[in-house]
Amino acid sequence: MDIDSFLRDPVSRRRFFAGSGLTFAAGSAMFAAACGDGQDTGGVATSREEDDAADVEILNGALDLELMSVAAYKAAAARLRGEVLQIGKLLVEQEQEHADALVSAVEDAGGTPNRAKSSYDFPELRSQRDALRFVLELENTAVAAYIDALPRITKSDLRGTASAIVTNEAQHISVLRGALGLPQVPHAFVNGEAG
Amino acid sequence: MACKESAIVVDGDAGSARIAAFQRDRRELVRRGLAFGGAVVAASSIPLLASVRNAFAAGEDDSSILAEAIRLERIAVLVYDRAIESGLLSTRVERVAKLFSDNEREHAGALTAALADLGAQPPAQPTVKDIDSVVGGIGDVSSQADVLRFAIEFEMAVVAAYHDAQQKLSDAELQQLGASIMANQGQHLVVLRQALKQPPVPNAFETGEN
Repeated sequence: MDIDSFLRDPVSRRRFFAGSGLTFAAGSAMFAAACGDGQDTGGVATSREEDDAADVEILNGALDLELMSVAAYKAAAARLRGEVLQIGKLLVEQEQEHADALVSAVEDAGGTPNRAKSSYDFPELRSQRDALRFVLELENTAVAAYIDALPRITKSDLRGTASAIVTNEAQHISVLRGALGLPQVPHAFVNGEAG
Repeated sequence: MACKESAIVVDGDAGSARIAAFQRDRRELVRRGLAFGGAVVAASSIPLLASVRNAFAAGEDDSSILAEAIRLERIAVLVYDRAIESGLLSTRVERVAKLFSDNEREHAGALTAALADLGAQPPAQPTVKDIDSVVGGIGDVSSQADVLRFAIEFEMAVVAAYHDAQQKLSDAELQQLGASIMANQGQHLVVLRQALKQPPVPNAFETGEN
């Protein structure tokens, strides 16, 4: 994957969640509460097996994105210093929490979770500023992808969980923008499209 | 306080689960208030913040949820306007409060337009009672730090309310609008926490319950 093209192409990033439904099952503290008896809100009746198969595809797309974020923060960390490095460490831990939860969710839906790629084609990061801008762009991409997928979530309680992840990614954006000296809350609506 | 608790029982679903949730939220808010030293989040505002957190609990369709959200956003505007009027804020924090007031106003506008698209009328403007019941809590503060702590509690309650709403809204575009607003409220929390030198992002899943 050409990461630069991916980040700039909304169609490509939305393909991370290209299946028919984004559903998170149990497996972490957050997702456990969302498992089992959530209200299905989709208009088309599907079997549990069909839902699970679609879920696995979508969840694995989300997992790919979170795993790439973890790798991106680790790559960026080499350029971060002092307090900014501490911020980077916190944010990568939270991306890993999202990934761990998604792994459990894929397994609970009967699928095999995708694994991190052995390497990613990230751009060269020459400075702290480069590194911050890169992960900021990735965070915006994540927000756009999750919000795009949100209506395809079939279980109501799981839609709440996905919203909690989106909100966390939006908070990362504010922290990163602050570290770059940019306005931390540039828009009243956070959709990842206007970085 | 007793009146507000009664209102939940009389006006709500009167379901034991909902009442239990209210009591749990209230206990949590009381605990936070005590953690701040007892005087920061005024005792009188604690059950009222809990009512904000439960604002969408009674909404069973998109129109009623939107109406509650509009009411909540209008009150949020007033929270920040009252904070600015307090005269307790530094120039920098006052600018932040003005920005956040503008954000809340934009949310209210978008939600009102969405409600109109559903063919429903917007709710009445908040009454003096509504304003006093929620914004009144900010009148008990005496420093910028107090205002910021109140604003954090309020924003947490709003995030929790939107988290609930995301589980009830049926329209796809409304789900996306709700998420983009919830995310913005989460960003407000970052700025407010940093102003108090608190960890800006304490949890990987922001539900307003943290």
